[in-house]
Amino acid sequence: MAPNARKRKAATRDAPAESGSEEELANGLFDGILSHSEDESGVSPDEDAESEASSVIGGLSDEDDEEEDEEEAEEEGGNEADIREQLRNLKTTDHPSKRIVSDAILTNAHDSVTNGELDGQEDEDPKPNYTVAIDANGNPRYLYNEIDPVYDSDDSDAPATTNTIGNIPLSYYDKYPHIGYDINGRKIMRPAKGEALDALLDSIDIPKGWTGLTDPATGKPLNLSEEELDVLKKLTRNEIVEEGYDPYPEMVYYFSGKQEIMPLSAAPEPKRRFVPSKHEAKRVMKIVKAIREGRIQPYKPPGEEDDEEERIYYDVWADEKPRPENSMHLPAPKLPPPGYDASYHPPPEYLPDKAEKEAWLAADEEDREKDYLPANYDALRKVPGYERFVKERFERSLDLYLAPRVRRNKLNIDPESLLPKLPNPDDLKPFPTTCAAIFRGQQGRVRSVSIDPHGVFLASGGDDGFVRIWELLTGREVWQARLSDEDAVDTVKWRPDTECSILAAAAGETIYLVVPFTILSPDMEQHSRDVLDAGWGYAASKPSSTTNGAIKEPPGKWSRPGSSLEHKGVLVQVTVRSMVKVINWHRKGDYFATVSPRGQSTAVAIHTLSKHLTQLPFRRLKGIAQTAQFHPSKAIFFVATRNTIRSYDLAKQELVKILQPGAKWISSIDVHPGGDNIIVGTYDKRLLWHDLDLSTKPYKTLRFHQEAIRAVRFHQGGLPLFADASDDGSLQIFHGKVVGDLMENATIVPLKVLRGHKVKSRLGAMDVEWHPREPWCVSAGADGTCRLWN
Amino acid sequence: MELAAEQKVPIRLSTRDPSIQIAEETGVLLVQTSLNRLKLSALVNDLLHKDERRIPFDILINGKFLRATIDEFLTQNGISPETTLDVEYTRALVPPLNVRSFEHDDWVSAVDVLSQSSAAGVWSGAVQSGQERILSASYDGLLRVWDMSENVLATSQPPNNGGRITSLKTAKWIWDKKIVAAGLDSTVRVFKYDDDTRTITQALELYNHRWGVEDIAVHGPSNRILSASSDTTISLFSANAKDNPAAPSNLLPNSTAASNKRLKTSRSERTVPARGALTTLTGHSSPVSSVIFKPDDATVAYSTSHDHTLRTWDLPTSTCVDTRTTGHSLLSLAAMPKLNLLATGTSARHITLIDPRASATQIAVMTLRGHKNAVVSLDVDPSTEYNLLSGSHDGTAQIWDVRNVRPSTVVGEGQAGESVYTIFRQGAPHSHGHGEGLKVFSVRWDSEVGILSAGEDKRVQINRAIGA
Repeated sequence: MAPNARKRKAATRDAPAESGSEEELANGLFDGILSHSEDESGVSPDEDAESEASSVIGGLSDEDDEEEDEEEAEEEGGNEADIREQLRNLKTTDHPSKRIVSDAILTNAHDSVTNGELDGQEDEDPKPNYTVAIDANGNPRYLYNEIDPVYDSDDSDAPATTNTIGNIPLSYYDKYPHIGYDINGRKIMRPAKGEALDALLDSIDIPKGWTGLTDPATGKPLNLSEEELDVLKKLTRNEIVEEGYDPYPEMVYYFSGKQEIMPLSAAPEPKRRFVPSKHEAKRVMKIVKAIREGRIQPYKPPGEEDDEEERIYYDVWADEKPRPENSMHLPAPKLPPPGYDASYHPPPEYLPDKAEKEAWLAADEEDREKDYLPANYDALRKVPGYERFVKERFERSLDLYLAPRVRRNKLNIDPESLLPKLPNPDDLKPFPTTCAAIFRGQQGRVRSVSIDPHGVFLASGGDDGFVRIWELLTGREVWQARLSDEDAVDTVKWRPDTECSILAAAAGETIYLVVPFTILSPDMEQHSRDVLDAGWGYAASKPSSTTNGAIKEPPGKWSRPGSSLEHKGVLVQVTVRSMVKVINWHRKGDYFATVSPRGQSTAVAIHTLSKHLTQLPFRRLKGIAQTAQFHPSKAIFFVATRNTIRSYDLAKQELVKILQPGAKWISSIDVHPGGDNIIVGTYDKRLLWHDLDLSTKPYKTLRFHQEAIRAVRFHQGGLPLFADASDDGSLQIFHGKVVGDLMENATIVPLKVLRGHKVKSRLGAMDVEWHPREPWCVSAGADGTCRLWN
Repeated sequence: MELAAEQKVPIRLSTRDPSIQIAEETGVLLVQTSLNRLKLSALVNDLLHKDERRIPFDILINGKFLRATIDEFLTQNGISPETTLDVEYTRALVPPLNVRSFEHDDWVSAVDVLSQSSAAGVWSGAVQSGQERILSASYDGLLRVWDMSENVLATSQPPNNGGRITSLKTAKWIWDKKIVAAGLDSTVRVFKYDDDTRTITQALELYNHRWGVEDIAVHGPSNRILSASSDTTISLFSANAKDNPAAPSNLLPNSTAASNKRLKTSRSERTVPARGALTTLTGHSSPVSSVIFKPDDATVAYSTSHDHTLRTWDLPTSTCVDTRTTGHSLLSLAAMPKLNLLATGTSARHITLIDPRASATQIAVMTLRGHKNAVVSLDVDPSTEYNLLSGSHDGTAQIWDVRNVRPSTVVGEGQAGESVYTIFRQGAPHSHGHGEGLKVFSVRWDSEVGILSAGEDKRVQINRAIGA
């Protein structure tokens, strides 16, 4: 089988090369295949290869069939009959298997065979383009057509001899010296077999296209031609076999960016370019409808879950341990801001002149003041690149590497924290916080208040010239007397003695000593009267006289005030030379000091109650006296002028100390019950605490008031409290604890601001006085009221 | 929530008032914990079969007032709902309404009541219902006796004290026919009141004080009078002139020449016997503000003073038995006998309850806060032992219930409480701290008359809970 197949293959291979007669071969080949499949004895793998090859060739032969048909149509019907007869003759010689072939193929084969026969009759004329005519002798005459100069028309290079044995296995000729017949009926002789040496040489010198096969048609070694190799090569590369096919043709840019003068298409712009697309409108409406029906959400807020699902975060710092605040962080030192000369276009005065430029260039790099030379450029874009960039970066890195910044520990302490903590006012209770009673009923300002030593009654004196006594807790007025019609009562002060009840009040130049007997029991009244009356006649019995014998006007005139006042209980009056503003009792109640600021040399007077005697301790006083006070335990007398406070030893009659609070105008002072501290209120809004042992300067200055301070007062009953009254209508309560230890300073804590007095003609609270035992205080207001605070 | 609403707690109802005792034995009731005071009160009314005149009740659980639901009460006090609660019901304190006011010419410093149940009424035993008399002392120095329909039955004559101030600070019924009054002129006077002739005549002048008298206490059966004075002493007098020794001569109005002269110019025809004190109790260092007899023992007295102390006195020996020192000036005193407590009003705007027994370790058992100014008068509710009435200079009288308390945050104060009800002065529904023009000087609580308060507004005001 296999050699057969090879032979057939060889035959088919030749087919395209032949013209005219090869069509028969092709037909025959077809037939052969068909017949083969009929009496098939077995299937070999070669069959596939066969059929492949045949199909390729078949494709080609189909074309040939068409041509043949055309040619047949050209043939004259008369000739056909003869040719058929000849064919029948031939057929009888052919082997019988042909009969099975269908009629159509038979006829076809007939034609081709007849053609072949006719060809074969012509002497070695392979040209198919002829017609058979009968010449004058009756012999067929071949009239050749004009050769159409078309593709494939030239077959001049076709092999001269072709075996025309038909569809007969070559093995049939094994016994013969020839292997078939050519178209002219001559025997084709078996090609001579070369010697073994020749074969070897052949195998060594393999010519191009050598297959190692023997062409069955010729018996010569089958070599592939150049074109066939090409075809095979293309097949193996999966390329298109067709000749001249270019897989990469040159691109022709029909639509390019180039604006053609003449457009490729002269057609006007189509209308659809200008008409809204109906299709699009339809689609849009579809979407709109869907939105309306809610099938499409016009806007879907970005779903967080989706995002989270999509993104996976890795916590890089999950295992990070918290580090302490970086103590090694050193902020970079702040650079000075760039100046004008650092500008790319500096004002001309910043530009260096030639000498400067040369000097800069000549200087050593480290000696240069600036590390750049100011240069002028017209525009920012003309500024060239910075030539020292890399060097500078390098140096900077070098700096960081070689000279790390040093941490310098700076003492960073809040100065407030160094101060001792002030105690919480709540821990310093009790102190007055609210208004407990209002004493109303006076006309004009209340200038002074005083609480009696029992703490039951309150005396007040004011602009209306009245002295009033009130029940302290209830605010009930229980006694009153008008001391003066013209003058205001400037000051009232109870005598510090619980055995009797004497009130000193000053109106104008007169000091009145009052026993308000209607509120006293007869016993108390008698005691008080006894105290006041003890001095009568003392002054008269000892008249003071000067050296020249003339009776000197006494500094104070003691007398009875007259029956109308005496009925009220005003028993004694002392008239001095100028208006008395301040009365202060000595602790034992026998002496009291008065101050009349306008009285020049008679400004400060000390009165002795038991002797009805008035003395002027100072012959000449420096400055204007403001107030005077006895020391609570020693024989020391304090006198405050406008700027200074002097303390005098009354026993030794000498100046002890001069305090200089540094105030412009002292309004009032008060001595601490311990005697070592003085508070000073000033008209320049300050409250000063003086420690007598410490210095002549104030130990503490408290400046909390908006207006002048009129009065200051220590609590005399053992509570560490003091208060001041100011023109701004408020009282301020302070805690002022004095410790016996000399090493420790007094603690002063502001406790409470008591507001309530109205400010009238720029005067608020005029006076303040403490209860002798309780943490209660009373204030006198310019609004005509007194207030009790507890 | 559903479960909580369903939760029930066993309670046992009880009361101390026999008039509202539930007739049948109720035993242990199971009630929902969501009940509040109102519903429990309705429950008690149902049990009492009160259909028309329902009584509002206050509910006490373990001696504490129920203010919210039982549930909240249990939660707050940490009581298991499974334990049987002893629930006590009392007549609720009905807000007292202003029923009457007695106009005076001057500030009214003191007020007292003579009624069937008042101390003087009990002692005399001759007061008929409807014959209640109200005594008022005024700063104009006059005593006035009023009937309940605002009529002045009698006014005293101003005393002849030599031109001294006559303002009275305190006045009290000792019998139905005897009045004791004292004031700033440091004299304690005993007056006779005749209800038929409607006159007040001075019967006795008692001299022992050198300063004004702040308060007096009377004990009818023993005819004893205690007076507290600003001169830091307390004097014990007898209401009978003969029992007292002769008056100290230096305290008589005619002791000084000047006052003798004045006295002669204004001499009245009648002379009144003057007597001294049985004993003088000294010990206080500041004005004594208030004094009372021990309610069940007239030989013991309590006094409060501005020197922050409360002292217990044994009168037969006239010695100070016990001294309790507080932090503030004490201005008023009232005894709560059944609780063994003394209530004192302080200048620091609160009321301190003190256990005077020697065994008591705590100074202040309870502190009642709410006044804005000094508490100058106190009285107890005659019907229950728990209620307290206080009058303050801030112009209000306040009613307190000592059961309405909670532990105080301030150390040493015991428990702290708030007032149950505040009585403002008529026409002044607000109070200022300083209470100017509205200060209350004296309060009394009488079961028949109601709550009386006298003050700076020249009125005696009567408030009574309508329907209670």
